[in-house]
Amino acid sequence: MASTETYSEQELINALKDRDDQAFSYLYDHYSGSLYSIILQIVKSPEMAADILQEVFINIWRKIESYDPLKGRLFTWMLNISRNASIDMLRSKGYMNSLKNQEITDNVYGIDLVTQTNIDGIGLTKFLGKLKPEHRILIELAYLMGYTHEEIAQIEDIPLGTVKTRIRNALLQLKVYLK
Amino acid sequence: MNLQEYILSGIIESYVLGLASAEDSVEFERMCDAHQEVRAARNAFELQLEQSLLQQKLEPPRALKSRIFSEIGMEKDEQPPRIISGKPVLIPRKGFARYVAAASLVLLFGSVLLNLYLLNQYKKSIAQYKELVATQTQIAGANQMLQTKLEDYENALRLMKNPLMEIVKMPGAPASPAPSSMATVYWNTESKEVYLLVNRLPMPVPDKQYQLWAIVDGHPVDAGIFDMNKDLSFVKLKTIPKAEAFAITLEKKGGSTTPTMEAMYVIGKVTG
Repeated sequence: MASTETYSEQELINALKDRDDQAFSYLYDHYSGSLYSIILQIVKSPEMAADILQEVFINIWRKIESYDPLKGRLFTWMLNISRNASIDMLRSKGYMNSLKNQEITDNVYGIDLVTQTNIDGIGLTKFLGKLKPEHRILIELAYLMGYTHEEIAQIEDIPLGTVKTRIRNALLQLKVYLK
Repeated sequence: MNLQEYILSGIIESYVLGLASAEDSVEFERMCDAHQEVRAARNAFELQLEQSLLQQKLEPPRALKSRIFSEIGMEKDEQPPRIISGKPVLIPRKGFARYVAAASLVLLFGSVLLNLYLLNQYKKSIAQYKELVATQTQIAGANQMLQTKLEDYENALRLMKNPLMEIVKMPGAPASPAPSSMATVYWNTESKEVYLLVNRLPMPVPDKQYQLWAIVDGHPVDAGIFDMNKDLSFVKLKTIPKAEAFAITLEKKGGSTTPTMEAMYVIGKVTG
């Protein structure tokens, strides 16, 4: 099912709205790796990330009609679907339970719990690592953990206005590293 | 804040990554609609992000793609009936079935007409049958009457033919109210039974009856009363053992013990 064709953004969108299998295959081949990477950086578990990626692509297939090119690129739309699905998973009961179990298991074997999958050098984390610590923590809380500005203001005990400004500055800094 | 400052404020990056507040997002979309520069800057960051992240791939499990495709494949299979189920579906009839349906309608219509016709015929036949039964009953009644009359005539004729019968003709009496009157007595000489045949007598008034008398040794003896019969005035009266003559008088209803001599219509002697 590997796709050989290449599409322009508009061709791809049109073909997807026409329920074209080949276009969807191309979409998966082209974008699944990047999206999986982002998902994995949020939920940390490869199994969960795979489940979420499946859900994300099925939602893309089902909801392609609701995608509006005027509001942004297709990748941006898919990236936000992936991040929202991942954060929904973080907030779910199942995720909390799996974390508890993991802690118990880890404690039993006396292993320090950090990450099973080493993602520090790849994906978004690679860029985040270059940020100043006070910027990095805000991006992690906001982008990877899904906290609102108000929640972050409480957690970090800083004024709401400062949260917004620091996040924007962090993102502008991140943009420099994205090149 | 001028447009350039707005573009460089970090709102573009916040919006694209989904970190802008709802309020800021609404404003940003308005700015995008209004300013081509903002749109261009947004698009530039989106492209940069996309290209950057496309270089940071992690390969998902190999089986995932076919899992996803089998799931949406099933959806695709389900879709056509889903679309159709939303609208009223008219299943086209096959040609033969349509002919059969049309033919059965024609047959039904024909059957209804035939039944109406037969019902009408049935009603007519019933009426005719009743008429025939009535006529037949009438004829049978008339026949019965004729039969009875014929029997009476035959009886009368048989009695008249009897060789033992003494026939006593009684013409109009000398002082008869109706001189042209006539009656005949048939008198069986063996059994002494008396039969009377009225040849011609005027019809009596309602409260009077004719009475036959036998004259025995010069005295009148009651021989019975009789009514005038339209058809055949041949009636059996009282048995008279012995008589020289017979006479008829008109008496009060029920008869008298002695005859009213002025009302003697006929009289005749036994010739013996």
